[in-house]
Amino acid sequence: MISSIFILSPAEIEALLLSAKVAVFCTLAICIPGVGVAWLLAKKSFIGKSLLDSIVHLPLVLPPVVPGFLLLLLLGSQGIIGKWLYNAFGISIAFTWVGAVIASAVMAFPLMVRSVRLAISQVDTSLEAAAQTLGAHPLRVFFTITLPLAMPGIVTGLILAFSRSLGEFGATITFVGNIEGETRTLPLAIYTYTQIPGGDMAAIRLVIISMVIALGALMISEILERRASKRIGRGSLV
Amino acid sequence: MIDIDLQRTQGNFNLQAKCMIDSPVVGLFGASGAGKSTLLGMIAGLIKPNAGHLILDQACLFDAKRAINIPLHKRRIATVFQDSRLFPHLSVRDNLNYGFNLLSENDRQFGFSQIVELLEVGHLLKQKPHQLSGGEKQRVTLGRALLTSPRLLLLDEPLASLDTRLKNQILPFLRRVKEEVKVPMLYVSHAIDEILYLTSQIAIIEQGKLLAYGNFHEIIHQENLQVVAHSLGLENIICANIFKHDTTYGYTELKQGNQIITMPLVTADIGMPVTISIAASNVALSLFQLKNVTIQNQLQGVVTEIEQVGYRILVTVDIGNSSVIAEVTIKALQSLGIAIGSNVFCLMKAQSIRIHGFIAN
Repeated sequence: MISSIFILSPAEIEALLLSAKVAVFCTLAICIPGVGVAWLLAKKSFIGKSLLDSIVHLPLVLPPVVPGFLLLLLLGSQGIIGKWLYNAFGISIAFTWVGAVIASAVMAFPLMVRSVRLAISQVDTSLEAAAQTLGAHPLRVFFTITLPLAMPGIVTGLILAFSRSLGEFGATITFVGNIEGETRTLPLAIYTYTQIPGGDMAAIRLVIISMVIALGALMISEILERRASKRIGRGSLV
Repeated sequence: MIDIDLQRTQGNFNLQAKCMIDSPVVGLFGASGAGKSTLLGMIAGLIKPNAGHLILDQACLFDAKRAINIPLHKRRIATVFQDSRLFPHLSVRDNLNYGFNLLSENDRQFGFSQIVELLEVGHLLKQKPHQLSGGEKQRVTLGRALLTSPRLLLLDEPLASLDTRLKNQILPFLRRVKEEVKVPMLYVSHAIDEILYLTSQIAIIEQGKLLAYGNFHEIIHQENLQVVAHSLGLENIICANIFKHDTTYGYTELKQGNQIITMPLVTADIGMPVTISIAASNVALSLFQLKNVTIQNQLQGVVTEIEQVGYRILVTVDIGNSSVIAEVTIKALQSLGIAIGSNVFCLMKAQSIRIHGFIAN
């Protein structure tokens, strides 16, 4: 009887796997744009920089329902872009797992950018200049000096984004709903179980799983960061 | 051959440098804040000048009028920085290879192993920069710069962050670079001895102005460099030959004309021409040769000039085929009755004599 507490039902397994899938794709999707925007904000000055900065950070301060609703207005089947996507390519994003990826990407993006931006701005510019005097094109300098030296921050950003995506609730439920097997990720499943009578045990199981995953992510992040720091010669000082 | 005519205004600081550098190894000397690093930065392409031009071996790198400003990574000018700037995430080998790998086979003037041997860094290749000592870091930085086969090597106070012992270890490597790989160098320092160890061709910069360029022994006597010469204690530059070493008592005798000058032991071959200096304030005058005194150098001569510069009295004494300037007080001058034509002895402590172009033992 006791052991059955720890046996997951197919629906719960489905929610777990879906969450993992959404989080992985979300992290992959924001990886490159996140570094790009972080680099822009850290290194360049241009007109509209503070506007871009604000827009990127908006999801951090808004109630998650707001970005979710805005996504629905834009990408929903009746939305401006959504309608066009459907008419032109037959693609529908709303109420699909891809939509869940987009919702969590929007919410995780500022965390990624903040972390990477800090890391890039802390890279010693005199090293980048030195690389250029050795004949390296600025683009090469970015990939061979800036990026490796910012790696601890990038790793942190990716883990943060991954964790944020796992926990995403408000924007997801608003934009893509709560469809079992399609958009019902871990937090949505937990919420659903708390709403039905006798669902407490299932909810607790998923809560424990969430906590294990979150703890694991933080510990992995710690290890990866330490390893990356050591690689760039900082670790030995700590 | 570097044709420099560069200007830059930054706040109150105005830098103006115009000169034609035609010798392969040149020292750029100036006090801190004189504008040395700014000038070097403009040559490297790190700092953009306001006006002027920069031409290196017929290649125009910067020309304000023609709106030419070759980006730094295309200048083929390598810089050795004071703070080494080794890439912390790369091994010594990868640091050395950083610029080397960007060159095509044909553009490489030196082989990897040639430079590694020259600078004796072979045993460090697998290490990371943070594992290196200060002196090792600078050798690796030097190697990294040389391996880019630069048309010009800029050295921006490369030894300033090292202690005397380490400096003396690195200087011979720089001389090796000069003699063996023959890369044109512009060596910036506020330590005149470092520069003179490498070259006697020197440019002097002060308060943003390039005052002079040429052979040190010739330009140091220029009117506009008197203040600089005085601040360095270089009023007296004497060329002499090594005459005798006495290892028992630890001194070296130098011959200047028919006078003998004694100084602490140096390592140099007998007969070798050397340059020594002594500050005017370290030279005293006496009307008679002194007995019972520890001062070993008592050079006989005739006063040829007495000049007052502020409160300082500078007495020039002809000691044969060279002259010595002594700084004395007005009171001393009057009480001894020294005048032009007086016979005097120039008294110099052996320890106050500096030898240039050598590492002191």
